[in-house]
Amino acid sequence: MEKITLEMAEKMLEAAERWAVLAGYPSSIAVVDEAGAVIAVHRMDGAGPMTTDISINKAFSAVYSGAPTLMLARLLDPRLTGKTIGSGGLGLLTQAKLRLMFIPGGNPIRDGEMKVIGGIGCSGIPDGVGEISDTTAVQAGYAAIYEEHD
Amino acid sequence: MVMNIDIAKKVIKAAIQQAQEMNRLCSVAVVDARGFLVALHRMDQALIPTVDIARDKAWTAATFRMPSSDVGRFGDPSSPGFGFNTQNWNDRLTTIPGGLPIMDGDQVVGGVGVSGGTPEEDVTVCRAALDKGFASKA
Repeated sequence: MEKITLEMAEKMLEAAERWAVLAGYPSSIAVVDEAGAVIAVHRMDGAGPMTTDISINKAFSAVYSGAPTLMLARLLDPRLTGKTIGSGGLGLLTQAKLRLMFIPGGNPIRDGEMKVIGGIGCSGIPDGVGEISDTTAVQAGYAAIYEEHD
Repeated sequence: MVMNIDIAKKVIKAAIQQAQEMNRLCSVAVVDARGFLVALHRMDQALIPTVDIARDKAWTAATFRMPSSDVGRFGDPSSPGFGFNTQNWNDRLTTIPGGLPIMDGDQVVGGVGVSGGTPEEDVTVCRAALDKGFASKA
C-alpha cells in the first residue's frame, strides 16, 4: 500500500462513522493524503458545522506532525512544559496558518514501512463522556484499510 | 427538505461517474443551504487545489442561490455593485463557473461545486450531479 485511494478513504469513513453512531454523537470525519490534502470528508446528519473543518485540520495536523493530535495536545500541558517558556508546544500554536489542531482525534496513517501516507481525523464525539472518543473512531477507520489490504 | 449526507453522497457519486466518463480528475463538494460543507470527495490523482476550489464554488452557489458563474455580474465596473470583489466573503467567494445551487422545486437546499476540468466541463459535471444524483434521491 503506497497511497490512499478514494475507495479506501470511503471505507475508512464508513468504519469510523459506525463508531460515531455507536457513541451516539453525529460527527465529521476526514481522510487526507500524504500532503495533508483532503481525499474525502463526510459530515453526518446532526453534526455541527464546525466539525468539518476541525476534522480536516486534525487529519492535516497528524500528517504534518507525524504523530496523533493527542501528542500535540500533550505539548500544551503546562505540567510538561520545560523551564523556558516556548520549549513546550506554545510556539506551534501559530504554525501552518493556524491550522494545527491540539485536540485528540487525528491520527497519521502509515504504510508497512512506517512511512506516513495520510491522516484521518474525527470531530464531534466529546472526550471522556463515554468509552468512545474521536480517537477511537479514527483508530477504527485506520484498521478498516488493513482488514483487506494485508 | 434539508440537505443530508445520503443525498450529498448520491450527488457526489453521480458527479464522479460523469467525470470518469469525460476522463477528468475532479474534486466534488456538497454544502447545505447555509453553505456549510456536508461532503467532499477528491478523485485519485486529482490536483490538491481542486479541493478548496470545489468547496468555494459550492459555497458561492448555495449562499448566493445562483450558479457561481452568475455571481460575476455583480462585479461589473459599470454596475452599482462594483467593489464587491473587495469584500472578504468568508474567503470563499468565487466567480469561476462550476458551482450550482441544489434546488428542490423553488427552494435552495444546498450547493454543489466541481473543480478539475475546464469551467465548461465542471459545469457539465455539476449538471450531471444534479440531474442524475440529486434527482435519484430517496
